Amino acid sequence: MNHGGDDSFGVEPSGRSGFSLRAERLLVRVLLMLRREAKSSDSVRSRQRAEELADIILSDFPRRVLPFGIAALVIIAIIASLPLLRDYAKGDAGMVAAAPAALTVESGIRQRGAAVSDGIDAIRTMVAPFAAESAGADAATGSDERATPPCDARAPFSKS
Amino acid sequence: MLDPQTERRTIQRARKGDREAIAELIRAYQRPLEAFLFRLCGKSDLAEDLAQESFVRVIRSLDRFDERFRFSTWLFTIGKRLLVNHQQKMRPLPDSEVVEFRAGDANTPAAETIEAERAQRVSELVGVALESLVSPQREIVLLFHQQNWSVQQIAKELSMPEGTIKSHLFRARRRMLEAIERTGVRNAEELFR
Repeated sequence: MNHGGDDSFGVEPSGRSGFSLRAERLLVRVLLMLRREAKSSDSVRSRQRAEELADIILSDFPRRVLPFGIAALVIIAIIASLPLLRDYAKGDAGMVAAAPAALTVESGIRQRGAAVSDGIDAIRTMVAPFAAESAGADAATGSDERATPPCDARAPFSKS
Repeated sequence: MLDPQTERRTIQRARKGDREAIAELIRAYQRPLEAFLFRLCGKSDLAEDLAQESFVRVIRSLDRFDERFRFSTWLFTIGKRLLVNHQQKMRPLPDSEVVEFRAGDANTPAAETIEAERAQRVSELVGVALESLVSPQREIVLLFHQQNWSVQQIAKELSMPEGTIKSHLFRARRRMLEAIERTGVRNAEELFR
């Protein structure tokens, strides 16, 4: 029996402590009995119970793994859907950013359009006098050329 | 009980789900734990159930076991906690009767022999002696005398100074002697034959 470190065991001899020798012997017996109770038993029943309990614990093993499996699946699903989520997030941000960009482009186009139409007007102003003259010339010569078919056309000079 | 090295190896195997290792741990500690719980609560069925529950919890949590400590310390702490929880749920405790006892295995033929009867008488005396102890004393006596733990080990487990443990042991023995003197000695003659 382990009495390591306990120097109080049996410090009171019978007579001085007031307990009978028989009581002290009984106490020793009681303590020995306690010790015997705790000794591992290798009986058939004990072994059988240990095996049964081991089976119970092991049968629960898959259930123990299940939460980890579910957690792993959730993590995989999240990782797999990350690109989609990123696109979705970008889509929202793009909607917000698209409005000023469109406005910029539109105003740019308008400015350019205005500049182009100004240029056309300027060209028209410049070209207008010449256009009037050529219109007059066209009116003077155009009637003969247009009225006479090529086969009937007269030579521009007299035949020799 | 397993020696520390064997115990460590067995725990490592049990962690991987080795059935034989789990059964080995149970075989080694089932009886001591049941005896400890039985002497704390006085009911063999309850002790058996609590011991079983302790094993289930401890073996399921083997991944968290710190190998610097003894497996038995951890197991007994869990067992004690389960018993305390049970007692809190089931108050008031039906703990007044003298404890019943299984001398060895109840289904052995030896249970009918004179020796077994004598053992039963001593066992009843154990019950009487333990009944006389208050809560920390009973646990200390059981850990020291029944489980063979050292004073240092008990002090560490119960977070008490070693001197306090020794003092509890001394007072506990006096109380047990008083209880034995009162009730046990009268018809104890045959125990010494």
